[in-house]
Amino acid sequence: RYVRQLQRLQLLFSPTAADSRGARQFVEEEALDFARQNPDVVLYVSPRAGPAPVLLAEYMNGTVREELIASKTSEEIKQLATKLAGQSGLDIIRIRKPFHTDNPSIQGQWHPLTNKPSALTVQGPRLQPQ
Amino acid sequence: VAKTSLTSPPWPEVKLPDPVEEAKHHAEVVRKVNAMIAAGHYGRLFAVVHFASKQWKITSEDLIMMDNVLEAECGDRIRMEKVLLVGADDFTLIGRPLLGKELVRVEATVIEKTESWPKINMRFRRRHNYQRKKIIVHPQTVLRINTIEIFPSL
Repeated sequence: RYVRQLQRLQLLFSPTAADSRGARQFVEEEALDFARQNPDVVLYVSPRAGPAPVLLAEYMNGTVREELIASKTSEEIKQLATKLAGQSGLDIIRIRKPFHTDNPSIQGQWHPLTNKPSALTVQGPRLQPQ
Repeated sequence: VAKTSLTSPPWPEVKLPDPVEEAKHHAEVVRKVNAMIAAGHYGRLFAVVHFASKQWKITSEDLIMMDNVLEAECGDRIRMEKVLLVGADDFTLIGRPLLGKELVRVEATVIEKTESWPKINMRFRRRHNYQRKKIIVHPQTVLRINTIEIFPSL
């Protein structure tokens, strides 16, 4: 049971600016292939006349990531899109431990009194009858 | 000959049991454990697995991250071989060094393939006007262990 964490990919570019040439080529050639290879990602393509072209990725935990695609070839945009599709929405910061468990100990966590004989079997000066 | 402080070694003398009886005892323990596995008298299983040049102690439903790129796509199920140890609440199976593939089965799924946080690699030499700064981002893969199963084929 694998659920892809990417919800939406919004491709915003302008139809006339020179730096969104790669975005336009990507839309013409590879957007259909990308959408078919990843059927669980929704791809919105919206041409708008504004600032630089941008690839917006929204994830299931609400984080939104923007990546500039100005003056990039369509191959690079495709690689970027696959990389974003493989990520999840967690922040990219330093993670302290490369593993995470909910049940860390099965046979009981070790404490200094495991594998030691109990006080009843120990013959000491206090426990002997006087 | 008189007994001095050096006649016998300082550690307590241990008498080894009879090898034939030992072999019978071993066979009986193996049969009991096999019966327990076949009957299903175990709760959670944990395993020690050698993966990506590291050894991990894993249970079911836990996350593992590695600093490399696997050739599997997101959402692929992977079966991990190279299992060194499998344990439950009452018994453990230790391999020398690996356990057989007919005994254990560890399955995992590739959840995400991201990049790490941007690490700074800087070189500086004092009084020589030399400094280089490089930002390194390397790919990571996150796996989730789905199941660990054992089969009574001891």
